[in-house]
Amino acid sequence: MLNNNSQIEEAVNSRYGPRASRKPRRRLLPFLYLLPSALLLLVFMIIPIGYTFYLSFFNWNLIAPTKEFVGLANYVNVFTDPTNQKVILNTLVYIVLLVILNFILPYFISLIVNFFIGKMKGPYKILFFIPSLFSLVVGAMLFSWILNPVSGPLALFLRDFGMKVPQWTNSGAMAIVVICLITNWKVFGYNFILLLTGLGAVPKNILDAAALDGVPKWRVIWNIVLPLNRGVAIYVFILTIVQGLQYVFTPINVITQGGPYYGSSNLLYHTYLNAFVLYKTGNASALATVTFVIFLILLFIEIKFVEGRHKDAD
Amino acid sequence: MLTEKRNWGWHVLLILIVMAIMLPVLFMISNSFKTLQESYHAILQLIPAKPTFSNYLTLNKQINLLRMVSNTFLMAMIVTLGKVATGLLAAYAFQNFHFKGKRLVYFIFVATIFVPFTTVMIPNYLVIAKMNLLNNVIGVALPQMADATGIMLFIKAMGKIPASLTESAKVDGIPNRKIFMNLIIPLLKPSIISVGAIFFINSWNEYVWPTLVLKDKSSFTLPLALQNYISSEGGTNFPLAMALAVIMIVPPLLIYMIFQRYILNSISTSGLK
Repeated sequence: MLNNNSQIEEAVNSRYGPRASRKPRRRLLPFLYLLPSALLLLVFMIIPIGYTFYLSFFNWNLIAPTKEFVGLANYVNVFTDPTNQKVILNTLVYIVLLVILNFILPYFISLIVNFFIGKMKGPYKILFFIPSLFSLVVGAMLFSWILNPVSGPLALFLRDFGMKVPQWTNSGAMAIVVICLITNWKVFGYNFILLLTGLGAVPKNILDAAALDGVPKWRVIWNIVLPLNRGVAIYVFILTIVQGLQYVFTPINVITQGGPYYGSSNLLYHTYLNAFVLYKTGNASALATVTFVIFLILLFIEIKFVEGRHKDAD
Repeated sequence: MLTEKRNWGWHVLLILIVMAIMLPVLFMISNSFKTLQESYHAILQLIPAKPTFSNYLTLNKQINLLRMVSNTFLMAMIVTLGKVATGLLAAYAFQNFHFKGKRLVYFIFVATIFVPFTTVMIPNYLVIAKMNLLNNVIGVALPQMADATGIMLFIKAMGKIPASLTESAKVDGIPNRKIFMNLIIPLLKPSIISVGAIFFINSWNEYVWPTLVLKDKSSFTLPLALQNYISSEGGTNFPLAMALAVIMIVPPLLIYMIFQRYILNSISTSGLK
């Protein structure tokens, strides 16, 4: 390909001279470099968003040759159907748990590692990150082993104390907690590293000056470090929700399939269920569009605060 | 200096976290070398008394292991090469050219990172099915390639190359194609390695698209094969499932051991805008 291009270019150059050929080429050239990415994003991202939006106004089963136009019925259904309401509520529970486990917890630990332990950061970074390398299916398998009520190691351990591991797959609430713990196992180290890097960028002299004035360390962190690290923190916070809600899909599908009675399902899993198990394409598309709008709002929050940080720094 | 004395308390906490994270993995490796019976009776014995390969052999009899490893490898390789190549090209366009609507195009590209997979999965499934690429490695790789993270990371890496370098090359009349191939690519090698490694690991572990696109068992990737060994009703043969999981984690671990510094550097900077 490249050889061909150069031959063409040489041919063009020899005929018209380099000057003449350069100008129109120059204008087209950046788009040539953009073309492969643009095509991929257009075909598998941007057009699909539009098509999903289009499908959300129809009743369809993914296969039938005709679609029935139903107006806003699918959207009304999203907010009035009891199952959908349950799933939306579950999504909020997921968000709260994910933020606690995958944002607040790693943030707390990254503060400790950055300010309270001196020089031993390296090994913790390397070790914490390891589960990020592994599939969530592996995580789902490991946790269903550890928490197996009959034969799991935790059950055997608790048996000595006369206690039992509950049948957590029979309870939506407990299943949600376990599913969030599985993603926590995978994401903790990743988010820890992002947050630690942000803390490393806080100027040392500010901290030294505060320390000289005898200001207690936790107050320095609360009043100086956290505000300065706001940009990175908000980035990780948004990432935790956006990525987390997509990450929980895997353990849900592997362990509970959203059950019992949609108790561990969320907006994204329910979309998948409607689309590829129940073949209610219109419902699925409406749910997907609502999810998209929520994520779009999160994106704008991220832009606003990360841009804000830039202005602060300047 | 004053806090130095209390350090050990924090280290205890951090080591407990390391154990909570790593012990399940270590027990998984250990149990994959135990018989089903031994895994029940000696559940917390980290070193198996009589290590056995029987789980791996059984696995190899029950499923076409080699085929699934090669399916997964091929898919991850196609996705990685595709994303690195298209990402580098697009990053070069954003970094080295001025054109109308550049900011808007960049914004739209990067915003696609925030699109949940559920919003695009139905149309993408229909397109892949129309192209007759269900149960096909290309069909499962294509939707994964539509990802702008590479563009973002490569732009950051290119930003560290002094502008004077490319400017002077342009003044000398060297065509962009040569600046890109002979100047930018060699200078970006560390970044290409780390981003490529991250892409490979992510795709190796990918679950969503394979679930949708690969229905035929002979086209399965490893995460789908492992899922088949996990029963939601209990009764999972864990030593067997763990043997398969061990096979799954070896390639990412090896890549991490070799490129650990590059990978952690790339991850770190991805958060800093």
